Parts: sequence; C-alpha cells; structure tokens
Amino acid sequence: MSLPELQHHFITAIFNRDQRDAAALLVKSHGKLDAAQRVGIYRNSVHGILWQYLESLYPVCQQLLGAEFFEAASDCYVDQQPPTRPFLAEYGAGFADFLAAHPALQQMLWIADVARLEWARHQAWNAVNQAAADFSQLANVDAAQQARLVLVLPASAQLLTSAYAIHQVWLAHQPEDSPEKVALEQLELHQTQRVLVWRAGRRLHQVLLDEATWAFLTAIQQANRLPDLAERFQAQLPALLMTAVQRGWILSFTVL
Amino acid sequence: MSHPVKGCGIGLRFQHIDTIVDSNQPIPWLEILTDNYLLPGSVQQDYLFEIAEHYPLTFHGVGMSLGSTDPLDTEYVSRVKALVERVNPAWVSDHLCWTSAHGVVTHDLIPLPYTEETIRHVSQRISQVQDSLERRLVIENVSSYLQYQQSAMSEWDFLCAVVEAADCDILLDVNNIYVSACNHDFDPLAYLNAIPVQRVREIHLAGYEDRGTHLLDTHGYPVSDAVWALYAQAIQRFGAVPTLIEWDNNVPELPVLLAEAAKAAEVQARVLA
Repeated sequence: MSLPELQHHFITAIFNRDQRDAAALLVKSHGKLDAAQRVGIYRNSVHGILWQYLESLYPVCQQLLGAEFFEAASDCYVDQQPPTRPFLAEYGAGFADFLAAHPALQQMLWIADVARLEWARHQAWNAVNQAAADFSQLANVDAAQQARLVLVLPASAQLLTSAYAIHQVWLAHQPEDSPEKVALEQLELHQTQRVLVWRAGRRLHQVLLDEATWAFLTAIQQANRLPDLAERFQAQLPALLMTAVQRGWILSFTVL
Repeated sequence: MSHPVKGCGIGLRFQHIDTIVDSNQPIPWLEILTDNYLLPGSVQQDYLFEIAEHYPLTFHGVGMSLGSTDPLDTEYVSRVKALVERVNPAWVSDHLCWTSAHGVVTHDLIPLPYTEETIRHVSQRISQVQDSLERRLVIENVSSYLQYQQSAMSEWDFLCAVVEAADCDILLDVNNIYVSACNHDFDPLAYLNAIPVQRVREIHLAGYEDRGTHLLDTHGYPVSDAVWALYAQAIQRFGAVPTLIEWDNNVPELPVLLAEAAKAAEVQARVLA
C-alpha cells in the first residue's frame, strides 16, 4: 500500500469511528493491545486535543452544558467538521451553529448565542495589534473631505446581538472573585442584549451597548460615510462619536 | 544575532508568560511552540518579541506535517519563516511524523511506516522546508502506540536514514524513546547507540502516563526515574546537549518546571564530571 493510501485509511478512521477496522488492517497487533485498539489510541488522542482546545475556547458553554455533554458534543463536532488548516486558532468557528442545530439543545438556543460570544472573544484576542490614529487631525479635514470621511473600528471589534442576556450569562459564569460577577438568580434570560468585544493592548474588553450605540458602531463597521452618520443619528452624533473615541471603539478615520 | 542556547531550559507556556516577563527569571533558554505564535501582528507575537529580547529561544512546531503526502502547506512555512526572520531563534524543529492528510489536519503526531518510500518522501519534504527557511531543520522522534504492518526497519534506522538523506539535525526526545521502547518492546539503548552523535542538537524530557496497557506521552507529569536513567546514558553518549523540559498538561507553577530543568543540569554535570 502506498503512503497516500495508508494516510487516507488512517485519517478516515480518526474522524469516523466506523472506519477503525479498515485502518487496523494496516497495524500490527502485539502486546496487550490489538490493532484496532492501537488505532483507537490515535482517534482518542486527536479528539482529546481538539476537545481540550474547544473547552479552552468555550469555557462558559462547557459550564452550561456540563463536562460530559460538552465532551460528547465536541466529539461529534470534530467528526462532522474536522480541522482543515494547521492554524489551530482558526478552528471552532462553526461550534455555535453546531450547538444551535443539536437536537438536545432546541429548547436552549441561547447557549448557541453564548458560544457566539465566546468565539467573538477568541477572535478579538487574536486580531492584529493596531496603533490608534491621532484624532486631532480630524480638525484639518475640510468640508469636501468630510463628505468622504469614514471611521474605522479596531480589527478586534466584534459586535453581537442576541435575544438573550448573553453578556449577563457570561458574567455569571466567571470566577467568584471576578469584579463584575453576576448572580445567576438575578438573571433575566429573555432580554435583547447588544455586546461589543474588543482588545486594547493586552486586555480584552466586553461591554453592553444601548441600541443607539450599537446601531452607530454597526453603521461604522459597514463603512457608512460621515454625512450618512450625521443624517441618521442627528443630534446624537457628537455624543456617540465622543464616547466611541474615548472608549477606544473607533481606532482611526480615513477619507475615501 | 540570537542568544546562544546552552544548558537546560523549559518550554514556554502561556500560564508563565506574565511571570517570566515581569520577573526576568534566570532561565538558561526557552522553547516556544511555534504554532502558537503564527498570527501576524497578534498579541501572542507581541509577548514573544518581548521575551526574545531577554532569553535565548528555539522554535518547536507541530504543523509542518513533514510526513504527509498532501502538498506542503506553503502558507504555514511562510509564516514560520517570517517569525524566524524576526526573532532569529537558535534553531527550528518539528517532528518526524505526519499530522495532516487529504485536506484534514489532526493537530496530533501520527507515526510513519518505516519504509524506503517514506524515507525518500520525508527527506524530500525536509529538504523543501530547509530550502524555504534557508536553515537546517531539527527533527524530533515521536512517541508511538502502533507499528505498521509494512514497516521494514527499526525506528532508529529510519530516523538515521532520513536525517542522512535530508542532511538535517536531530532533536532526540529521550522520553519518547522510552515510551516507544516500552510500547513496542525494544531496547532503548539500542536506539540511543544508533544515533549519530554529531547530529543531535537538542534533547527533550517530559513525563508520561502509565495506562496499564501502554505508556502515553502526555507531557503532564514529572520526568520518570527510568527516563532520567536513560537521559544519563544519552548525556554519556552525546555530551552536554542543550536539554529541554516539556510540560503541556496539568502545567505546574514555574518553580516546579525550573526545578526539573535544574535536575537535568545536575545529571549532565554528574555524568560529564
């Protein structure tokens, strides 16, 4: 058997339990383990590595689902959507959709939204470092340029909206000594929440936004020009803009 | 100019980065898991660049998939190269195994069949990577839990043939030799004694877990007494080779890791006295 064929049989067995016996034909049985058990060690090892990784990405989901359910879900997800790139940090984007489609979670769809929040945190952490612009230069932008001015969010900015209190759920599952810890019994699950996650230097931030701020930052993310923002947000614009710049939610500006 | 790598170091893990950065611990050298630092412009690279100013570094990767029959992932190699050019580690290592095939990536180290076909294939891939990186690669032996029916030689004959054909160096993992020797019932000294002394650039030590039916290379425990004994034999043969403590699961506090590294240094001093 050629090396490509051998690797094909083996990798198929790693991500499909039912294919183990075909791969076992390639392996010697000896000592205390037969060939199928030896192939099984590798299947377990790969699934263990990816389960641990997913657990590190989705620690709140792991608490919500329980360790046993999470491990079984991870096992199934890994078989259905195995990694296809050598960059592990890219893996796991589809886990929220996987949970949303999971038959056992149809009455708990909010857990999938918590997974989206945890993935957003992962994305924000892994985003590129960027230096903030000198906003004093905005004063030098003339009227013609203002018509073409676009504000830019940090690459790490992740805007999420959910019909559930995902921010509070996330806070409720932080360590006891966490300053913003929320008590579970105070939590009203069914409320729309808009969340911004972003990274400033070596710190990850996560805040709840009101409707206007969320709409404002979303419009910026969609590259709306300044005149469009002014028309849409009218008298609110100066305050929205000032808060966003002060909090580091707007990184820079550019004239198209 | 990279700092010279000498003595006994530890693998850099996220849990310890802040402590190491803040306290400027006296550590002979650090080895990074290259794959954790391949996002260009990321905060992880930020930490790495800061650490590189203070410590000698080596790069140790798992993602080259040197034994895979898929095309070499040129994006992966390019990212490694960019980081190598920025940090200039003392050397770059990866494993003699495959991690991906047919477009799927395991993120685990799967052994190869020991055949002439595999020797040709892997040595060509190593040469390809060495040409891309413009550096010699250092290749590590992996732990294994199976032997393929079609393997036609011992693991050590296979390793020696590959490094000879590719003209690369060896990262000898003494724990992996011990684990595989127990799992496949061979003499670990026969393995050590077959390895060409001049190619051994680095030694790895780690802790395994005894599962009853086999030893599992978990990197989650202190180095076992048997592996310390084998390490002493390795130092006797290979001399004062830079040695690294790997610990990836149940990662202990930094002083525990540093104590393991100090123990390795004591073994070296005792054996070479």
